[in-house]
Amino acid sequence: MTVEILKALESLNEFRLTDSEEQKAMEVFGFMENEAEELRSIDTENVDVMVHCMPMTNVFREDVREQPFTREQLLEGAPEHSEDSWIVPRLVK
Amino acid sequence: MDYFVTEIDRAGTVAVDDTLLVKGFETKAGSHILDGFVPLFSADAVDRLLKAGYAVKGKTHTGEFGLDIAGETSYHGVCKKADGSLSTAAAEAVASGTVKVALCVDVNGAPRRGAALSGVDFIKPTYGTVSRYGIIPTACSGEQVGVCAGNAEDVKELLSVIAGHDGKDGTSLPAEKYGYSSDKDISGMKIAVVKELYDAAKDEVKSVLDNYLNKIESSGAKIETVSVPDVKAYATAWQIMLSAETCNNISRYDGVKFGYRTPTYKDIDELYVNSRTEGMGFTAKMNVLYGSDVLSKNQYLSCYDKSLRLRRVASEKMKEIFASFDAVIAPAMSSASVEEYDLAQTFERTKKELLFTTVPNLIGIPAMVTGGVQLWGAAFAESTLLSIAGAVERMAD
Repeated sequence: MTVEILKALESLNEFRLTDSEEQKAMEVFGFMENEAEELRSIDTENVDVMVHCMPMTNVFREDVREQPFTREQLLEGAPEHSEDSWIVPRLVK
Repeated sequence: MDYFVTEIDRAGTVAVDDTLLVKGFETKAGSHILDGFVPLFSADAVDRLLKAGYAVKGKTHTGEFGLDIAGETSYHGVCKKADGSLSTAAAEAVASGTVKVALCVDVNGAPRRGAALSGVDFIKPTYGTVSRYGIIPTACSGEQVGVCAGNAEDVKELLSVIAGHDGKDGTSLPAEKYGYSSDKDISGMKIAVVKELYDAAKDEVKSVLDNYLNKIESSGAKIETVSVPDVKAYATAWQIMLSAETCNNISRYDGVKFGYRTPTYKDIDELYVNSRTEGMGFTAKMNVLYGSDVLSKNQYLSCYDKSLRLRRVASEKMKEIFASFDAVIAPAMSSASVEEYDLAQTFERTKKELLFTTVPNLIGIPAMVTGGVQLWGAAFAESTLLSIAGAVERMAD
Protein backbone atom coordinates (compact mmCIF):
# COMPACT_ATOMS: atom_id res chain seq x y z
CA MET A 1 0.00 0.00 0.00
CA THR A 2 1.20 3.50 -0.82
CA VAL A 3 -0.14 6.87 0.30
CA GLU A 4 -1.12 7.58 -3.33
CA ILE A 5 -3.20 4.39 -3.56
CA LEU A 6 -4.73 5.08 -0.16
CA LYS A 7 -5.78 8.55 -1.28
CA ALA A 8 -7.20 7.07 -4.48
CA LEU A 9 -9.26 4.60 -2.42
CA GLU A 10 -10.55 7.45 -0.25
CA SER A 11 -11.58 9.35 -3.35
CA LEU A 12 -13.21 6.26 -4.88
CA ASN A 13 -15.23 5.76 -1.71
CA GLU A 14 -16.20 9.44 -1.41
CA PHE A 15 -14.68 10.24 1.98
CA ARG A 16 -11.48 11.67 3.42
CA LEU A 17 -9.24 10.57 6.28
CA THR A 18 -7.31 12.97 8.47
CA ASP A 19 -3.50 12.82 8.37
CA SER A 20 -3.38 10.78 11.58
CA GLU A 21 -6.09 8.43 10.27
CA GLU A 22 -4.12 7.96 7.05
CA GLN A 23 -1.07 7.05 9.08
CA LYS A 24 -3.13 4.53 11.07
CA ALA A 25 -4.72 3.17 7.88
CA MET A 26 -1.25 2.47 6.46
CA GLU A 27 -0.46 0.47 9.62
CA VAL A 28 -3.71 -1.51 9.24
CA PHE A 29 -2.91 -2.30 5.59
CA GLY A 30 0.51 -3.53 6.71
CA PHE A 31 -1.07 -5.65 9.41
CA MET A 32 -3.56 -7.20 6.97
CA GLU A 33 -0.83 -7.82 4.39
CA ASN A 34 0.94 -10.01 6.95
CA GLU A 35 -2.32 -11.79 7.81
CA ALA A 36 -3.06 -12.38 4.11
CA GLU A 37 0.37 -13.96 3.58
CA GLU A 38 -0.68 -16.87 5.78
CA LEU A 39 -3.91 -17.22 3.82
CA ARG A 40 -2.02 -17.34 0.53
CA SER A 41 0.25 -20.09 1.81
CA ILE A 42 -2.69 -22.55 1.86
CA ASP A 43 -2.99 -24.62 -1.28
CA THR A 44 -6.38 -24.10 -2.94
CA GLU A 45 -5.43 -25.00 -6.47
CA ASN A 46 -8.08 -27.69 -6.82
CA VAL A 47 -10.69 -26.03 -4.62
CA ASP A 48 -13.70 -24.27 -6.16
CA VAL A 49 -14.85 -20.92 -4.87
CA MET A 50 -17.77 -21.01 -2.42
CA VAL A 51 -19.68 -17.76 -2.79
CA HIS A 52 -22.65 -18.71 -0.61
CA CYS A 53 -22.45 -20.79 2.52
CA MET A 54 -25.94 -22.25 1.94
CA PRO A 55 -27.69 -23.27 -1.30
CA MET A 56 -29.23 -20.22 -2.98
CA THR A 57 -32.06 -19.92 -5.44
CA ASN A 58 -33.39 -16.93 -7.31
CA VAL A 59 -36.45 -15.43 -5.67
CA PHE A 60 -39.17 -13.99 -7.84
CA ARG A 61 -42.50 -12.48 -6.89
CA GLU A 62 -45.53 -12.36 -9.11
CA ASP A 63 -45.02 -9.87 -11.94
CA VAL A 64 -47.70 -7.58 -10.62
CA ARG A 65 -47.29 -3.84 -10.28
CA GLU A 66 -47.31 -2.71 -6.66
CA GLN A 67 -46.78 0.56 -4.86
CA PRO A 68 -45.79 -0.35 -1.30
CA PHE A 69 -44.93 3.25 -0.39
CA THR A 70 -46.18 6.62 -1.56
CA ARG A 71 -43.88 9.28 -2.98
CA GLU A 72 -44.53 11.39 0.13
CA GLN A 73 -43.43 8.56 2.43
CA LEU A 74 -40.22 8.01 0.47
CA LEU A 75 -39.39 11.70 0.47
CA GLU A 76 -40.11 12.12 4.16
CA GLY A 77 -36.78 10.57 5.23
CA ALA A 78 -34.64 12.77 2.98
CA PRO A 79 -32.48 15.50 4.53
CA GLU A 80 -33.89 17.96 1.98
CA HIS A 81 -36.79 17.56 -0.42
CA SER A 82 -39.45 19.45 -2.33
CA GLU A 83 -43.02 18.28 -2.83
CA ASP A 84 -42.02 15.66 -5.37
CA SER A 85 -38.20 15.37 -5.45
CA TRP A 86 -35.02 15.03 -3.44
CA ILE A 87 -33.07 18.28 -3.47
CA VAL A 88 -29.37 18.21 -4.32
CA PRO A 89 -27.00 20.95 -5.51
CA ARG A 90 -27.07 21.76 -9.20
CA LEU A 91 -25.39 18.94 -11.17
CA VAL A 92 -24.98 20.66 -14.53
CA LYS A 93 -22.98 23.87 -14.45
CA MET B 1 -26.46 2.65 31.94
CA ASP B 2 -29.11 3.49 29.37
CA TYR B 3 -29.15 0.49 27.05
CA PHE B 4 -31.53 2.01 24.54
CA VAL B 5 -31.00 4.50 21.74
CA THR B 6 -34.75 4.53 21.17
CA GLU B 7 -37.46 3.56 23.63
CA ILE B 8 -40.57 2.04 22.08
CA ASP B 9 -42.84 0.40 24.68
CA ARG B 10 -42.08 0.55 28.39
CA ALA B 11 -44.05 -2.66 28.96
CA GLY B 12 -42.06 -4.56 26.33
CA THR B 13 -39.99 -7.62 27.24
CA VAL B 14 -37.87 -7.78 24.09
CA ALA B 15 -35.00 -5.52 22.97
CA VAL B 16 -34.01 -5.21 19.34
CA ASP B 17 -30.56 -4.05 18.44
CA ASP B 18 -30.32 -0.88 16.40
CA THR B 19 -29.40 -2.82 13.26
CA LEU B 20 -32.94 -4.21 12.85
CA LEU B 21 -35.65 -1.98 11.43
CA VAL B 22 -38.71 -1.22 13.54
CA LYS B 23 -41.33 0.66 11.53
CA GLY B 24 -41.66 4.28 12.61
CA PHE B 25 -38.62 4.31 14.93
CA GLU B 26 -35.25 5.81 14.04
CA THR B 27 -32.67 3.12 13.14
CA LYS B 28 -28.99 4.00 12.87
CA ALA B 29 -26.90 0.83 13.24
CA GLY B 30 -24.66 2.80 15.60
CA SER B 31 -23.74 5.27 12.86
CA HIS B 32 -24.07 9.04 12.54
CA ILE B 33 -24.55 8.56 8.77
CA LEU B 34 -28.05 7.19 9.43
CA ASP B 35 -29.16 10.13 11.58
CA GLY B 36 -32.86 10.70 11.14
CA PHE B 37 -33.53 7.48 9.20
CA VAL B 38 -36.99 6.28 10.14
CA PRO B 39 -37.89 3.01 8.39
CA LEU B 40 -41.22 2.53 6.61
CA PHE B 41 -41.34 -1.18 7.46
CA SER B 42 -40.06 -3.56 10.13
CA ALA B 43 -37.59 -6.42 9.85
CA ASP B 44 -39.32 -9.75 9.24
CA ALA B 45 -37.98 -11.05 12.59
CA VAL B 46 -39.54 -8.04 14.36
CA ASP B 47 -42.87 -8.53 12.56
CA ARG B 48 -42.93 -12.17 13.67
CA LEU B 49 -42.32 -11.13 17.28
CA LEU B 50 -45.11 -8.58 17.20
CA LYS B 51 -47.53 -11.04 15.56
CA ALA B 52 -46.73 -13.59 18.29
CA GLY B 53 -47.75 -11.03 20.94
CA TYR B 54 -44.35 -9.80 22.12
CA ALA B 55 -43.78 -6.09 22.62
CA VAL B 56 -40.49 -4.36 21.82
CA LYS B 57 -39.19 -2.30 24.72
CA GLY B 58 -36.59 -0.43 22.71
CA LYS B 59 -33.63 -0.45 20.39
CA THR B 60 -30.27 -1.17 21.99
CA HIS B 61 -26.94 0.52 21.18
CA THR B 62 -24.80 -1.35 18.71
CA GLY B 63 -21.31 -0.77 17.35
CA GLU B 64 -21.21 1.04 14.00
CA PHE B 65 -22.52 -1.54 11.49
CA GLY B 66 -21.59 -4.30 13.97
CA LEU B 67 -17.90 -4.13 13.04
CA ASP B 68 -16.25 -3.98 16.46
CA ILE B 69 -15.55 -6.14 19.50
CA ALA B 70 -18.58 -5.39 21.65
CA GLY B 71 -20.38 -2.24 20.54
CA GLU B 72 -17.65 0.26 21.45
CA THR B 73 -17.75 2.13 18.12
CA SER B 74 -21.38 3.18 18.54
CA TYR B 75 -21.92 6.82 17.64
CA HIS B 76 -23.90 7.02 20.90
CA GLY B 77 -20.95 5.94 23.04
CA VAL B 78 -19.84 2.75 24.73
CA CYS B 79 -21.90 0.48 26.96
CA LYS B 80 -20.09 -0.25 30.22
CA LYS B 81 -20.72 -2.92 32.80
CA ALA B 82 -20.86 -2.06 36.50
CA ASP B 83 -17.10 -2.66 36.80
CA GLY B 84 -16.35 -0.23 33.95
CA SER B 85 -15.42 -2.90 31.39
CA LEU B 86 -17.19 -3.12 28.03
CA SER B 87 -20.02 -5.29 26.78
CA THR B 88 -22.86 -4.99 24.29
CA ALA B 89 -25.95 -3.06 25.37
CA ALA B 90 -28.24 -5.95 24.35
CA ALA B 91 -26.37 -8.48 26.51
CA GLU B 92 -26.29 -6.07 29.46
CA ALA B 93 -30.02 -5.29 29.07
CA VAL B 94 -30.70 -9.04 29.31
CA ALA B 95 -28.20 -9.61 32.15
CA SER B 96 -29.71 -6.77 34.20
CA GLY B 97 -33.24 -8.12 33.74
CA THR B 98 -34.33 -4.97 31.87
CA VAL B 99 -35.61 -7.26 29.11
CA LYS B 100 -36.08 -11.01 28.93
CA VAL B 101 -34.64 -11.44 25.45
CA ALA B 102 -32.96 -9.42 22.70
CA LEU B 103 -32.55 -9.80 18.95
CA CYS B 104 -29.10 -8.95 17.62
CA VAL B 105 -27.39 -9.15 14.23
CA ASP B 106 -24.21 -11.23 14.33
CA VAL B 107 -21.88 -9.83 11.64
CA ASN B 108 -18.52 -10.67 13.15
CA GLY B 109 -19.33 -12.29 16.49
CA ALA B 110 -19.94 -9.11 18.56
CA PRO B 111 -23.23 -10.40 20.08
CA ARG B 112 -21.46 -13.65 21.00
CA ARG B 113 -18.65 -11.73 22.67
CA GLY B 114 -21.22 -9.56 24.44
CA ALA B 115 -23.01 -12.65 25.78
CA ALA B 116 -19.72 -14.07 27.07
CA LEU B 117 -18.77 -10.75 28.69
CA SER B 118 -22.17 -10.33 30.37
CA GLY B 119 -22.76 -13.97 31.32
CA VAL B 120 -25.87 -14.58 29.21
CA ASP B 121 -26.74 -16.86 26.28
CA PHE B 122 -26.76 -15.96 22.59
CA ILE B 123 -27.42 -18.10 19.52
CA LYS B 124 -26.49 -17.31 15.95
CA PRO B 125 -28.64 -19.81 14.07
CA THR B 126 -27.87 -21.54 10.78
CA TYR B 127 -27.57 -19.04 7.93
CA GLY B 128 -30.87 -18.72 6.09
CA THR B 129 -33.14 -19.98 8.88
CA VAL B 130 -34.01 -16.46 10.11
CA SER B 131 -34.89 -13.81 7.56
CA ARG B 132 -32.40 -11.00 7.00
CA TYR B 133 -35.14 -8.82 5.48
CA GLY B 134 -35.15 -5.47 7.25
CA ILE B 135 -31.72 -5.50 8.81
CA ILE B 136 -29.12 -2.84 7.99
CA PRO B 137 -26.81 -4.99 5.85
CA THR B 138 -23.07 -5.14 6.43
CA ALA B 139 -21.72 -8.55 5.40
CA CYS B 140 -24.65 -10.27 3.68
CA SER B 141 -23.00 -13.62 3.03
CA GLY B 142 -22.42 -14.42 6.70
CA GLU B 143 -24.43 -12.16 8.99
CA GLN B 144 -27.48 -13.54 10.73
CA VAL B 145 -30.13 -12.43 13.23
CA GLY B 146 -29.74 -14.21 16.56
CA VAL B 147 -31.30 -14.33 20.01
CA CYS B 148 -29.82 -13.26 23.35
CA ALA B 149 -31.47 -14.42 26.60
CA GLY B 150 -30.73 -15.41 30.16
CA ASN B 151 -31.03 -19.15 29.49
CA ALA B 152 -31.33 -21.74 26.74
CA GLU B 153 -35.08 -22.18 27.28
CA ASP B 154 -35.76 -18.49 26.56
CA VAL B 155 -33.40 -18.56 23.58
CA LYS B 156 -35.32 -21.53 22.18
CA GLU B 157 -38.69 -19.83 22.72
CA LEU B 158 -37.79 -16.71 20.78
CA LEU B 159 -35.79 -18.49 18.07
CA SER B 160 -38.85 -20.67 17.39
CA VAL B 161 -40.86 -17.48 16.83
CA ILE B 162 -38.48 -15.73 14.41
CA ALA B 163 -37.16 -18.69 12.34
CA GLY B 164 -38.85 -19.81 9.13
CA HIS B 165 -38.99 -19.09 5.41
CA ASP B 166 -39.47 -15.52 4.26
CA GLY B 167 -40.22 -14.96 0.60
CA LYS B 168 -38.87 -11.41 0.85
CA ASP B 169 -35.32 -12.64 1.57
CA GLY B 170 -33.36 -14.29 -1.24
CA THR B 171 -31.12 -16.02 1.30
CA SER B 172 -34.04 -17.52 3.28
CA LEU B 173 -34.14 -21.33 3.27
CA PRO B 174 -37.39 -23.10 2.29
CA ALA B 175 -38.54 -24.67 5.60
CA GLU B 176 -41.61 -22.82 6.90
CA LYS B 177 -40.83 -23.57 10.57
CA TYR B 178 -38.09 -25.22 12.59
CA GLY B 179 -38.71 -27.38 15.65
CA TYR B 180 -36.12 -26.68 18.34
CA SER B 181 -35.57 -28.49 21.63
CA SER B 182 -33.35 -27.79 24.60
CA ASP B 183 -33.76 -31.07 26.45
CA LYS B 184 -32.14 -33.73 24.25
CA ASP B 185 -30.13 -36.23 26.27
CA ILE B 186 -26.49 -35.17 26.01
CA SER B 187 -25.00 -38.31 27.57
CA GLY B 188 -23.02 -40.09 24.90
CA MET B 189 -22.61 -36.95 22.82
CA LYS B 190 -19.12 -36.39 21.46
CA ILE B 191 -17.77 -32.87 21.77
CA ALA B 192 -14.58 -31.58 20.17
CA VAL B 193 -12.31 -28.94 21.67
CA VAL B 194 -10.45 -26.95 19.02
CA LYS B 195 -6.83 -27.04 20.13
CA GLU B 196 -5.72 -23.88 18.30
CA LEU B 197 -8.52 -21.79 19.82
CA TYR B 198 -8.04 -23.20 23.31
CA ASP B 199 -4.30 -22.46 23.13
CA ALA B 200 -4.92 -18.90 21.90
CA ALA B 201 -7.11 -17.93 24.86
CA LYS B 202 -5.85 -16.38 28.09
CA ASP B 203 -5.68 -18.52 31.23
CA GLU B 204 -8.82 -16.91 32.70
CA VAL B 205 -10.79 -18.07 29.64
CA LYS B 206 -9.19 -21.53 29.63
CA SER B 207 -10.27 -21.93 33.23
CA VAL B 208 -13.93 -21.10 32.35
CA LEU B 209 -13.76 -23.58 29.47
CA ASP B 210 -12.19 -26.31 31.62
CA ASN B 211 -14.92 -25.85 34.20
CA TYR B 212 -17.61 -26.12 31.50
CA LEU B 213 -15.98 -29.24 30.03
CA ASN B 214 -16.06 -30.88 33.48
CA LYS B 215 -19.79 -30.23 33.70
CA ILE B 216 -20.43 -31.68 30.25
CA GLU B 217 -18.34 -34.72 31.07
CA SER B 218 -20.25 -35.25 34.30
CA SER B 219 -23.42 -35.40 32.15
CA GLY B 220 -21.96 -38.31 30.23
CA ALA B 221 -20.67 -36.49 27.15
CA LYS B 222 -17.27 -37.40 25.77
CA ILE B 223 -14.63 -34.75 25.11
CA GLU B 224 -11.81 -35.00 22.60
CA THR B 225 -9.35 -32.46 21.23
CA VAL B 226 -9.22 -31.79 17.49
CA SER B 227 -6.89 -29.65 15.45
CA VAL B 228 -7.98 -27.03 12.89
CA PRO B 229 -4.55 -25.79 11.80
CA ASP B 230 -5.84 -23.23 9.28
CA VAL B 231 -8.34 -21.57 11.61
CA LYS B 232 -6.39 -18.28 11.68
CA ALA B 233 -6.45 -18.17 7.89
CA TYR B 234 -10.23 -18.73 7.99
CA ALA B 235 -10.50 -15.59 10.15
CA THR B 236 -8.47 -13.65 7.60
CA ALA B 237 -10.71 -14.98 4.81
CA TRP B 238 -13.80 -13.74 6.66
CA GLN B 239 -12.17 -10.35 7.34
CA ILE B 240 -11.51 -10.00 3.60
CA MET B 241 -15.09 -10.94 2.64
CA LEU B 242 -16.57 -8.89 5.47
CA SER B 243 -14.68 -5.77 4.38
CA ALA B 244 -15.49 -6.33 0.70
CA GLU B 245 -19.19 -6.71 1.45
CA THR B 246 -19.16 -3.75 3.86
CA CYS B 247 -17.58 -1.62 1.16
CA ASN B 248 -20.48 -2.38 -1.18
CA ASN B 249 -23.23 -2.09 1.41
CA ILE B 250 -22.06 1.20 2.90
CA SER B 251 -21.71 2.84 -0.50
CA ARG B 252 -25.47 3.60 -0.44
CA TYR B 253 -25.14 6.23 2.29
CA ASP B 254 -24.67 9.50 0.45
CA GLY B 255 -26.64 12.19 2.29
CA VAL B 256 -29.26 12.47 -0.46
CA LYS B 257 -32.22 10.11 0.03
CA PHE B 258 -32.03 9.46 3.77
CA GLY B 259 -29.72 9.77 6.75
CA TYR B 260 -27.16 12.43 7.59
CA ARG B 261 -26.31 15.34 5.28
CA THR B 262 -23.40 17.66 6.00
CA PRO B 263 -24.33 21.31 6.51
CA THR B 264 -21.21 22.41 4.56
CA TYR B 265 -21.14 21.80 0.82
CA LYS B 266 -20.94 23.83 -2.35
CA ASP B 267 -21.62 21.15 -4.94
CA ILE B 268 -22.76 17.52 -5.21
CA ASP B 269 -19.23 16.13 -4.81
CA GLU B 270 -18.72 18.01 -1.56
CA LEU B 271 -22.14 16.90 -0.38
CA TYR B 272 -21.18 13.22 -0.85
CA VAL B 273 -17.64 13.51 0.51
CA ASN B 274 -18.40 15.71 3.51
CA SER B 275 -21.51 13.73 4.49
CA ARG B 276 -19.61 10.43 4.39
CA THR B 277 -16.46 11.89 6.01
CA GLU B 278 -18.44 13.35 8.93
CA GLY B 279 -20.99 10.54 9.10
CA MET B 280 -18.79 7.48 9.50
CA GLY B 281 -16.24 6.46 12.12
CA PHE B 282 -12.71 5.27 11.42
CA THR B 283 -13.41 1.54 11.76
CA ALA B 284 -16.23 1.66 9.21
CA LYS B 285 -14.06 3.69 6.84
CA MET B 286 -11.14 1.32 7.36
CA ASN B 287 -13.31 -1.66 6.42
CA VAL B 288 -14.49 0.17 3.31
CA LEU B 289 -10.91 1.01 2.29
CA TYR B 290 -9.64 -2.49 2.88
CA GLY B 291 -12.71 -3.93 1.14
CA SER B 292 -12.20 -1.84 -1.96
CA ASP B 293 -8.51 -2.76 -2.00
CA VAL B 294 -9.16 -6.54 -1.88
CA LEU B 295 -11.70 -6.16 -4.69
CA SER B 296 -9.26 -4.23 -6.87
CA LYS B 297 -7.65 -5.74 -9.97
CA ASN B 298 -4.30 -6.29 -8.25
CA GLN B 299 -5.66 -7.97 -5.11
CA TYR B 300 -8.80 -9.77 -6.27
CA LEU B 301 -7.27 -13.16 -7.03
CA SER B 302 -4.79 -13.24 -4.17
CA CYS B 303 -7.24 -11.99 -1.52
CA TYR B 304 -10.94 -12.10 -2.38
CA ASP B 305 -10.99 -15.11 -4.71
CA LYS B 306 -8.61 -16.93 -2.36
CA SER B 307 -10.98 -16.27 0.55
CA LEU B 308 -13.93 -17.75 -1.34
CA ARG B 309 -11.87 -20.91 -1.83
CA LEU B 310 -10.85 -20.91 1.84
CA ARG B 311 -14.57 -20.81 2.70
CA ARG B 312 -14.94 -24.19 0.97
CA VAL B 313 -11.82 -25.55 2.69
CA ALA B 314 -13.29 -24.48 6.06
CA SER B 315 -16.67 -25.98 5.20
CA GLU B 316 -15.12 -29.33 4.26
CA LYS B 317 -12.95 -29.35 7.37
CA MET B 318 -15.93 -28.73 9.65
CA LYS B 319 -18.01 -31.37 7.83
CA GLU B 320 -15.21 -33.83 8.56
CA ILE B 321 -15.29 -32.88 12.25
CA PHE B 322 -19.09 -33.02 12.50
CA ALA B 323 -19.05 -36.49 10.92
CA SER B 324 -17.47 -37.68 14.18
CA PHE B 325 -18.68 -35.11 16.74
CA ASP B 326 -22.03 -33.69 17.81
CA ALA B 327 -20.63 -30.25 18.64
CA VAL B 328 -17.45 -28.22 18.89
CA ILE B 329 -16.54 -26.17 21.94
CA ALA B 330 -14.24 -23.13 21.89
CA PRO B 331 -13.64 -19.88 23.75
CA ALA B 332 -15.90 -17.02 22.62
CA MET B 333 -13.00 -14.59 22.83
CA SER B 334 -9.42 -14.28 23.98
CA SER B 335 -10.08 -12.69 27.39
CA ALA B 336 -12.81 -12.57 30.01
CA SER B 337 -13.19 -8.78 29.91
CA VAL B 338 -12.51 -5.83 27.61
CA GLU B 339 -11.40 -2.47 28.97
CA GLU B 340 -11.90 0.82 27.11
CA TYR B 341 -9.18 1.39 24.55
CA ASP B 342 -8.13 3.78 21.76
CA LEU B 343 -10.72 3.20 19.00
CA ALA B 344 -8.05 3.72 16.33
CA GLN B 345 -7.04 0.14 17.25
CA THR B 346 -10.51 -1.38 16.66
CA PHE B 347 -9.86 -2.91 13.24
CA GLU B 348 -6.78 -4.87 14.36
CA ARG B 349 -8.18 -5.79 17.77
CA THR B 350 -11.42 -7.04 16.28
CA LYS B 351 -9.55 -8.99 13.61
CA LYS B 352 -7.64 -10.80 16.37
CA GLU B 353 -10.91 -11.71 18.11
CA LEU B 354 -12.35 -13.02 14.82
CA LEU B 355 -10.13 -16.04 15.33
CA PHE B 356 -12.68 -17.37 17.83
CA THR B 357 -15.94 -16.44 16.10
CA THR B 358 -15.27 -16.58 12.35
CA VAL B 359 -16.10 -20.16 11.38
CA PRO B 360 -19.88 -19.93 12.01
CA ASN B 361 -20.13 -16.67 9.99
CA LEU B 362 -17.90 -17.95 7.22
CA ILE B 363 -19.72 -21.23 6.57
CA GLY B 364 -23.16 -20.53 8.03
CA ILE B 365 -23.24 -23.07 10.85
CA PRO B 366 -24.99 -22.31 14.17
CA ALA B 367 -23.04 -21.05 17.18
CA MET B 368 -24.15 -20.51 20.74
CA VAL B 369 -22.49 -18.75 23.64
CA THR B 370 -23.47 -20.02 27.06
CA GLY B 371 -21.71 -20.03 30.41
CA GLY B 372 -18.91 -17.95 28.90
CA VAL B 373 -18.01 -20.59 26.28
CA GLN B 374 -18.93 -21.05 22.65
CA LEU B 375 -20.52 -24.10 21.00
CA TRP B 376 -20.69 -24.77 17.27
CA GLY B 377 -22.87 -27.32 15.57
CA ALA B 378 -23.42 -28.70 12.09
CA ALA B 379 -25.98 -26.82 9.99
CA PHE B 380 -29.47 -27.09 11.56
CA ALA B 381 -28.08 -28.61 14.79
CA GLU B 382 -29.38 -25.76 16.99
CA SER B 383 -31.18 -28.28 19.21
CA THR B 384 -27.89 -29.97 20.05
CA LEU B 385 -26.36 -26.66 21.14
CA LEU B 386 -29.50 -25.64 23.08
CA SER B 387 -29.57 -29.04 24.81
CA ILE B 388 -25.93 -28.90 25.89
CA ALA B 389 -26.51 -25.36 27.22
CA GLY B 390 -29.78 -26.44 28.85
CA ALA B 391 -28.22 -29.47 30.54
CA VAL B 392 -25.43 -27.40 32.09
CA GLU B 393 -27.87 -24.68 33.16
CA ARG B 394 -30.19 -27.23 34.79
CA MET B 395 -27.15 -28.55 36.69
CA ALA B 396 -26.61 -25.07 38.18
CA ASP B 397 -30.30 -24.89 39.19
